Amino acid sequence: MSAPVRVPAPAPAPVRARAAGRAVVLLALEQVRRGALVVALVAAALTAVVAASHDRVAGDPATTASLRVLAGNPAVRALFGEPAALGTVGGYTAWRAGTVVAVLLATWAVLVTTRTTRGAEESGAWSLLLSGCLPLRSVVARHLAVLALAPLAVGAAVAVALRLAGAGTAAAAVSGAGTALVGVLAVALAGLSAQLLPTRGGAAGAAVGALSAGLLVRAVGDGVDGLSWLRWASPFGLLELSRPAAGDRVAPLLVLAVAATALGAAAVAAAGRREVGEGLWSRRAVRRAPRGGLGSVEAFALRRCLRPVLAWSAGIGAYYLLTGLVATSVTGFLDEQAGFAGTAARAGFGGLDSVEGFSASLFGLLPVPVGAFAAARLAASTAAEADRRSVLLAAQPVGRLRLLGAELTATTAGTLLLVSVAAVCTWAGTSIGGGGLGLGAALRGTWNTLPVALLAAGAAALAVGCLPRAVVLVGLLPVGGGFLLRVVAESAGAPAWVVDLSPFSHLAAVPLVPADRAAGAVLTALALALAAAGALAHRRRDLLG
Amino acid sequence: MDGPALHVEHLTKRYGDLVAVDDLDLEVGAGEVFGFLGPNGAGKSTTIRVVLGFTRPQAGRVRVFGVDAADVVHAHRLLAHVPADVALWPQLTGEEVLHLLAATRPGTDTAYRAELVERFGLDPSRPARTYSTGNRQKVALVAAFATRAPLLVLDEPTSGLDPLVEQEFRETVRRAREDGQAVFLSSHQLAEVEAVCDRVGILREGRLVEVAPVRRLRALHRAEFTVDFTGPAPRLSGLAGVGPVEVLAAGRVRFAVSGSPAAALSALAAARVSALDVREPGLEEVFLEHFGQRSPR
Repeated sequence: MSAPVRVPAPAPAPVRARAAGRAVVLLALEQVRRGALVVALVAAALTAVVAASHDRVAGDPATTASLRVLAGNPAVRALFGEPAALGTVGGYTAWRAGTVVAVLLATWAVLVTTRTTRGAEESGAWSLLLSGCLPLRSVVARHLAVLALAPLAVGAAVAVALRLAGAGTAAAAVSGAGTALVGVLAVALAGLSAQLLPTRGGAAGAAVGALSAGLLVRAVGDGVDGLSWLRWASPFGLLELSRPAAGDRVAPLLVLAVAATALGAAAVAAAGRREVGEGLWSRRAVRRAPRGGLGSVEAFALRRCLRPVLAWSAGIGAYYLLTGLVATSVTGFLDEQAGFAGTAARAGFGGLDSVEGFSASLFGLLPVPVGAFAAARLAASTAAEADRRSVLLAAQPVGRLRLLGAELTATTAGTLLLVSVAAVCTWAGTSIGGGGLGLGAALRGTWNTLPVALLAAGAAALAVGCLPRAVVLVGLLPVGGGFLLRVVAESAGAPAWVVDLSPFSHLAAVPLVPADRAAGAVLTALALALAAAGALAHRRRDLLG
Repeated sequence: MDGPALHVEHLTKRYGDLVAVDDLDLEVGAGEVFGFLGPNGAGKSTTIRVVLGFTRPQAGRVRVFGVDAADVVHAHRLLAHVPADVALWPQLTGEEVLHLLAATRPGTDTAYRAELVERFGLDPSRPARTYSTGNRQKVALVAAFATRAPLLVLDEPTSGLDPLVEQEFRETVRRAREDGQAVFLSSHQLAEVEAVCDRVGILREGRLVEVAPVRRLRALHRAEFTVDFTGPAPRLSGLAGVGPVEVLAAGRVRFAVSGSPAAALSALAAARVSALDVREPGLEEVFLEHFGQRSPR
């Protein structure tokens, strides 16, 4: 019993901390690198395709002049930003693709940051890590540092794509740096919200909300003459103010860099002041009496759907309210300037000369966020299965078809609500902004897009059955992939059958023209078939976890 | 409700090359408490996942009171489950989880549930994310026992509980058996299995290596004698029922005896025994012997 126990001498503390720090950096790299590569490729491809269309659209001096007049309208500027140096590849691409690429990168940055920090902490994956010799503050700081590398890589890819497409070196560098810095700022912002809020969903929602507010601030700054200084308060405004090929200004980029650094420092400081597993903003720990939505698996699925639906409604509603507000102004302006409608159509903004056409073209974007919502909800249900939250429900006398059916029902109800919110907000916006679009027409327009969003739900359901680890990716294929395919194929002048592969090619411009009922029925039937196949596969497979 | 509470026939489950469960046969009678033992990776949890219809086997079938386990709508009316490592919806309170689980199946005894909440010392007003492992387990145990289902499938249900709550658990299992409920209890806690189970099955590499009543399993093992003596060394080798003799020190030997100790005792008579220690080994040692290890001394 009393045999002497030899305790190995511990390594000196700095050596241990250095090795642990390196291990944490490698862990973070491993979680980020694949996604970063995909985002860099998509960003570079999008930039290259738009840059390549420059000669066709903006190379003609008459068209460029027309576009410049078009952009003189405040409402058009609010929606699409202020164009500069449209005659150059760098200026034209920054205007057409810059914001889209930045939004894409920022959204991904928020999701990956909250997943690898708060998500890992929430699921307990960090417990072992944090019991080592590195404090929470260092682990968070190292993750944020690694995560910030990803937007830098994406920015570099954008700069290279621009340069190869013929943009000037300075314009390419400013565009790339601006994109990268917006991404780094999104990482820092999400890092901070992940310290303040105790759940991954809450942290991601708050950060996406803040970025959406940034987009709105940019729109207001561009649209209202006296408020153009507001753009200095928005990351997307600063990106615009850097003016690639039209001044190549460094000051806005410096502001972005300082803001990102400050947010990152705040995130690290917040991590040092809170307890593991908690947010800096604490929550109530006691709650009496059960709330509603617990009476059946269907009610419970709806209950879990409620908060995400409200969050997505706020984002989608704000966008369509804004577009509704400016719709009358834009279309009235176009109507006065005979001939610009054709120019706008050639530039990819067709049918903008009437409120119906303008609204219809914006409703055409709606399936992207609504489909993403559907994919995210079904991914949440497989996440619950994988981390065994749903074991207790699965052990109830409830079949798999009913369990997945409840999720699909709640998700479909959510998509119906989201498209209706978009219609009501557009109608409200146009009513305030001068009228022109009835509520019925708005509802017909947004409901017309529903089959494409349902296609995303169907694809996601199929993945729940067959590829449960890739539900978001498969779910986004019809809407994200379909949308990009159409944009790229049309810009590149691809054959019609390639364009037709995208479900967006089969959406009629409702309320400008009547709905294409046959196409809607085919898309809906396809969505149902995918969902049914997914449900059958889900019934037959082993549960995760 | 026909047939045994749980009937497993020729069950085989493979994950790629790995055979998790290999041609397993098992039967648990109505009203029986069956202990399911085995080292990590023996296939206990896989068997339970098949019983619950979470996993489809490659061969064989499982029936719960005659109902195919894959028919979860009917089979799960007859059973309640406590998973190993209970995960709950973090934003729901304990009370809300209990409410949800009662609403999604018929026949929860809410009066008994209130009593169980009291006895297990669960604070149901707190959100699940604030619960410790043991508290999450309590929520699942309360929900399962409150169903009064004729079969309880419990997968290491007490690994996070403190000793006092564990005593309550054992008491609750005994009450369930008195009420005619069957319990299928997977466990590493041998003392617990020994305390509450009627029969024990030992699983090893996906195969059942032993099924026996707890008392017979214990009797399988030999009694261990440690003897101090002052006279001449006793001649024990070769006597009926006596195993190898270990000389611990001068005047001290240890040996195992199976069956009647009469021959050993008469051999010891001449050795002038100064101290005699007879130990009946616990289930743990029986168990470890089955897996080819010596119990640590």
